[in-house]
Amino acid sequence: MSNQLTKGLDRGQPGMGTPPWSDSGRATKVVGTGRSILQVLSRHGAYILLSAGIFALPLVYLAVQAFKPYTEFLRNPTGLPSGWTATNFSDAWQQGEFARQLVNSLVYASMPTAISILLGVFLAFPIARGYFKQTNLLYGLFVFSGFLPVGLIPLFIEAQALGLYNSMMGYVVMNSLVGAGFFFFVGYIRTIPRERDEAAAMDGCGYVRFILTIIIPEMKPALAAFGVFGFVAAWNNMILPLVMLADEDLWPVTRGLYSFLGENVQNWPLISAGIIIVAAPVVCVFVLAQRYLVEGVAGGAVAGGHAVAAQVSRNDG
Amino acid sequence: MFGLYPSVATFFYSFTQYSGVPGTPLNVCGLCNYAAATSSLLSNVAGAIWTTVKFAVGVTVVQTALSLGLALIFQRRGRSFTFYRAIIFLPGILSVPIVGGMFSLLLDPVSGPVGELFRNAFGIESAFLGSGRISLFLIMGITIWMGCGYGMIIFIAGLRAIPRESYEAASVDGAGRFRTFRHITWPLLAPATTVCVFLTSMAALGEFALVLVLTEGNFGTKTLGVYMFTSAFGTSSQLGYGSMIAIVQFFLTLLIGGGLLLALRRREVTL
Repeated sequence: MSNQLTKGLDRGQPGMGTPPWSDSGRATKVVGTGRSILQVLSRHGAYILLSAGIFALPLVYLAVQAFKPYTEFLRNPTGLPSGWTATNFSDAWQQGEFARQLVNSLVYASMPTAISILLGVFLAFPIARGYFKQTNLLYGLFVFSGFLPVGLIPLFIEAQALGLYNSMMGYVVMNSLVGAGFFFFVGYIRTIPRERDEAAAMDGCGYVRFILTIIIPEMKPALAAFGVFGFVAAWNNMILPLVMLADEDLWPVTRGLYSFLGENVQNWPLISAGIIIVAAPVVCVFVLAQRYLVEGVAGGAVAGGHAVAAQVSRNDG
Repeated sequence: MFGLYPSVATFFYSFTQYSGVPGTPLNVCGLCNYAAATSSLLSNVAGAIWTTVKFAVGVTVVQTALSLGLALIFQRRGRSFTFYRAIIFLPGILSVPIVGGMFSLLLDPVSGPVGELFRNAFGIESAFLGSGRISLFLIMGITIWMGCGYGMIIFIAGLRAIPRESYEAASVDGAGRFRTFRHITWPLLAPATTVCVFLTSMAALGEFALVLVLTEGNFGTKTLGVYMFTSAFGTSSQLGYGSMIAIVQFFLTLLIGGGLLLALRRREVTL
């Protein structure tokens, strides 16, 4: 399993670009000398055991159990399945109504992220350029807001009062206006030379067009890192849907899986299949966006990640 | 509007009795929730505070140490190490119900592999997540399992920022591995340690989603976050009382987080 993954990842790597620290020179040497996977395995056995054995094995174990018929599971709960079956997956897919929930999750994760990035950039620009006084006050407020009490309860009351409770649009609006990325963007825009504003103004470029055509392309790496973070955080949020969305048709996949776990207690193969179905898209996105995520944590996005983390921890625990 | 206002409004609602059902009156009752917390329910609140502190301290200390260890092992360049790092980072992006469901099966006393292993290898029977003695520690372990990769990446970024000359100077002076770590790596990692400790502790102090999925706050795992959530959105739906818990949590976070931040910054300067 890990074997194939390594190969796949190694092949996929150049297309995905390499993280800042991956020394491609050495890596090509390893691949180039044509060393077999087996040799690499024996050399790296301890590393593989430590990384895959601890951090990936639980997921693999679940994936295996998901192929076991329930009757066999009752007799032999921990071993490998003797008759592999995919019925658990089709059953889970139908019972959990994951198809609709995955679509909902996509909406809840992508729209607020896109809107908050766009709004964040438009708001961050004047502040970064100092057109707005009391920047320090705002900054202080932001740092302090990380400590503020969990606003879940008033948010719930507010949502009911504004008619945002139990509605898809309401949920999107609520998540779009949290402004997590805002201060991260302020710092980034400061690094873009001011001369460019002036040159653009001279050429008669308007404010909106300037931001869309000059600032946003300039901020691409930051926005990508932040976008991936925001997307993953929004996708994974379980508490807010639990509080805000009563209607089953509106549930994202996290909320759906939470109920699915409760409804199918002890039918572990079915639960495993459900978990694998829900985890699969996340893992796929991770394999593709791994670079942005890992690089994002390592690089300048620590601040952005912090903002997201703070926001998430306040809504999500 | 949806970030700052609710936080501040929590203070207001903590002085009220409100069920959240539209149309029912909002009773402003002054300090009633706080009075309740300091009288008959004192043991509940104090217990939740103690659980939260235990949880946060345990997670922060162990996760930071493990992250640093993993960073030292997996900091090397090269494709295979990029792959190992990705694997270690992976649990951090799985959502709480995925991880919760996963470990409910793994730690199931009857049909989970961990239970079977302990039964066969050591002859130990345990209810694991259903055991009041170890449940909290298991959830701490799972939280650490999820967060380790994140911390590792922060530490690796810190390690990469240490100039090579420092190590060369140390080896010229004949410093061994341990002394190099003690006198070069550790002090120069101070900024990364600050970020890692601070983020971990803040997240751990507020943690409740995972506890909710795994034990619903039973078996001695009721942290302040869980207590807040269950009193506000559980069967009793006492939003006012829940807000009061959120305020208690706020002061605890402010106390611990603020203190930590000051101490860590001071440490960065003196080192």
